[in-house]
Amino acid sequence: MNSSGDFFVWKRVVVPLAVCLFSLWATPQDRTGRDAESRLLAVENVWNQAEAKGDTKALSMIFDDDLIYVDENGQLLTKSEFLAKAKSQSAYPQLLTTQAMSAQVYGDTAVVTGTYRIEQTKGKKRAQREGRFTDTWVRTHGTWVCVAAQSTPILR
Amino acid sequence: MRLMLCFLLLIISSPAASTDASLDHAETTVLALENAWNQAVRLRESGALQQLLVDRLIYIEYDGRVMSKGQYLAQVRAPLLHPEHIVSESMRAHSFGNSVIVTGVYQEKGTKNHIPYVLRERFIDTWILQNGMWVCVSSQSTPIVH
Repeated sequence: MNSSGDFFVWKRVVVPLAVCLFSLWATPQDRTGRDAESRLLAVENVWNQAEAKGDTKALSMIFDDDLIYVDENGQLLTKSEFLAKAKSQSAYPQLLTTQAMSAQVYGDTAVVTGTYRIEQTKGKKRAQREGRFTDTWVRTHGTWVCVAAQSTPILR
Repeated sequence: MRLMLCFLLLIISSPAASTDASLDHAETTVLALENAWNQAVRLRESGALQQLLVDRLIYIEYDGRVMSKGQYLAQVRAPLLHPEHIVSESMRAHSFGNSVIVTGVYQEKGTKNHIPYVLRERFIDTWILQNGMWVCVSSQSTPIVH
């Protein structure tokens, strides 16, 4: 691999994975809740980047194997179904941004909520959609994993 | 009837009923609370829901609106909202440590401002054990698109 290839791997794979690992690993200070909130919000941003790129390896680390996912059509997906969907969606250029994110920590359970906007180009068609999400995180063996996630389109 | 519902909710979510360590028991308890929640909405008994929901509740409606606990309870007792038929299908509870996630399909028929409405949506509710009582910390619904 040439140096530009190395840089690409470093920027696109190593850095997000490192951030992901660091963020998921809960420290004793997490007990206060504040630290956990900022870590979870950081992981949510890593999730966005990974999903936009179809990086299923990074996404897989974020989710519990028993993930429960409800997509914006109200369909219930397993972890593998969600990862397959993220992979297929990443074939089309997309920009995924989140706003107004907040986290609430209840001991070893946390809920993150916010809004998202997806801009995607499929061929000559450009689509944009907005929604609100809730992600539920659980700390197991000192690590935060996402156990449930749901998206709902915002009707104007 | 309303007094009975409050009493029932208290019994189901009480420490005596929920300190059982088994996951099955936690899941059964939370599913019973989900059914009691539906009953309370149908009867517009917002008082009975007070103890089921944490003060920092995150409630996201089928249209993407976010509501606080106070806003949600106000909606439940809104004078022009009359839910006549409420049922949750395919409900499943999944335990993750000290929390239980419930999924299901919520159907509601009734009238709002004298106009008939029908809702069919998939929901996820997150419950935690707080001070020995099961309480809901977040609830979100998404309309099912075929």
